[in-house]
Amino acid sequence: MTLRKRESLTGWGITSTYLAYMAVFWGYPFVWMFILAFTKWRFFGSPKFYGFRNFIRVFRDPMFWTVFTNTLTFMMYFLPMVLTGAMIFALAVKRMKYLKTFVTLSFLVAYISSGVAYSIVFMNIFSDVGPINHFLYKHFGITIPWLTSPQLAMLTIALMVTWKFIGYYGLILYSGLQAIPKSLYEAAELDGANNWIKFWKITVPLINPAIVTVLVLSINLSFGIFTEPYMITGGGPMNKTMTFMMYMYETAFQRIRPSYATAFAIVTALINYGLIIVVRKAVEREVSVV
Amino acid sequence: MKKAKEVIFHSVMIFLAILWIYPYFWMFLTSFKLPEEMFTRFWPTRLTLEHYNFIFHMSKKLQRPFVRAFLNSVFISTIVTFSVIITAAIIAYPLAKLRIKGRNAVFNFIIFQMLFPGFMFIIPLFVLVKNLGLLNTYRAMILPYLMSAWAVFMMIQSYKSIPKDYIEAAKIDGANVLWIIFKVMVPLARGTVAIVGLFTFNGIWDNFMWPLIVVKDYNKMPLSVLLATFNHEYASYVGPLLAGAVLQTIPMVLIFVIFRKHFLQGISMSFK
Repeated sequence: MTLRKRESLTGWGITSTYLAYMAVFWGYPFVWMFILAFTKWRFFGSPKFYGFRNFIRVFRDPMFWTVFTNTLTFMMYFLPMVLTGAMIFALAVKRMKYLKTFVTLSFLVAYISSGVAYSIVFMNIFSDVGPINHFLYKHFGITIPWLTSPQLAMLTIALMVTWKFIGYYGLILYSGLQAIPKSLYEAAELDGANNWIKFWKITVPLINPAIVTVLVLSINLSFGIFTEPYMITGGGPMNKTMTFMMYMYETAFQRIRPSYATAFAIVTALINYGLIIVVRKAVEREVSVV
Repeated sequence: MKKAKEVIFHSVMIFLAILWIYPYFWMFLTSFKLPEEMFTRFWPTRLTLEHYNFIFHMSKKLQRPFVRAFLNSVFISTIVTFSVIITAAIIAYPLAKLRIKGRNAVFNFIIFQMLFPGFMFIIPLFVLVKNLGLLNTYRAMILPYLMSAWAVFMMIQSYKSIPKDYIEAAKIDGANVLWIIFKVMVPLARGTVAIVGLFTFNGIWDNFMWPLIVVKDYNKMPLSVLLATFNHEYASYVGPLLAGAVLQTIPMVLIFVIFRKHFLQGISMSFK
């Protein structure tokens, strides 16, 4: 046996293990995803062919539109907050001379908090008697119904998620900032550019890839939110915090409509992709430092 | 003037950093407070262990075994993490370094797998686990995660930068494939191994929706799910809930503090 042949044999021996595993735990579900989406089935009996009716029902479902609006609302709060916050964080950390590590780690430790645990914590911090309302009442004589008001609940969840992700996204932007050559700023200063001009004409265009990454990550996150509303609001008040994932979960496993929920998940993923393509087209630029 | 500006700037940053860890601090401190002081005082007049006593001893009588759930989480996360690291380290080797037919096709398949968001697979994966008769078992939480396309991808990328000379030298010494992988490749790619391990462990430890769906037996629940069901049933037990949240948080924070360097590295890598 030649060396080449032996190499190819070991190579395929190893690779086929991966393919065999994935055939079961990825391929089989992958096929079932389509079976489910195009049939009517409730976990028992045999699936009945249903054509595109599951998909048509998704768009006729008023809850779908509620969930859609809720997610847009969430993104309207979350994207600007987290993007501005992360940008300020990145610029500030770059400027810091002392205690840089302490500040970075404090913000990052939020990112590695457990979903269930931090939901419990924030639920109590934002509760009617929690420390925030305690503080507001003592100094301003008001309390805010953070989680019980239909108008505010989604904002409160967006605030929590922003708390969690600013450090992480900020560091992605920060590693983009690190790559910008100092000479560019010096040249701009010679031309009399102020900080504002330098930020918009040099910093923002040059960290474009990092900004796109953060945007993509935060849009994906908005479509995948589950733990926070499940733990804190249960989708309420008045369905205002019902998210795509909450509705998919409840439809599949509480109302036992797995085929409809699968079609719903596919539509969700398509909207998610569509939005990302649009955002990339609008924001992504070729970057080159000449 | 300039100095004053620097001092103010740094003070603001430190204030913000403290504000950011405040929720952790509040959780930790409140889990030791007397119930009547939880929402009325910041500094407690005295500390108590009753909430920890509750989750470590009394909760068993309510059929909510917190200690067991913690051990379940440790068990599941450890097995999955080791499996993902070892399989990815082996599988990535032929895909990065051996000349085999169809290598590109397999690589493209791995990329293709990563295109799908995890939530699309939840219901079909449930069908698989149900058909295999694995509902309510540890295997339901372990088997679907034993290998990861993302981990293999990361390892391939990292192996690609290792010069071929190292492998050739080992081959001349008569080393077999596994020896090359674990004595040559893995030590040279240990940064990536650490990142894959950290993110996998945290991901499984914090995994919530999947175990919530497949496990209904309180004795088999991971801590995240037991804590969530406890929160739904006994929302007024704020003390025990916070003590449970501390328990759920500690391993993640600990691992983060120990491996913080790799974490920072992983973040700048994930963006490239």
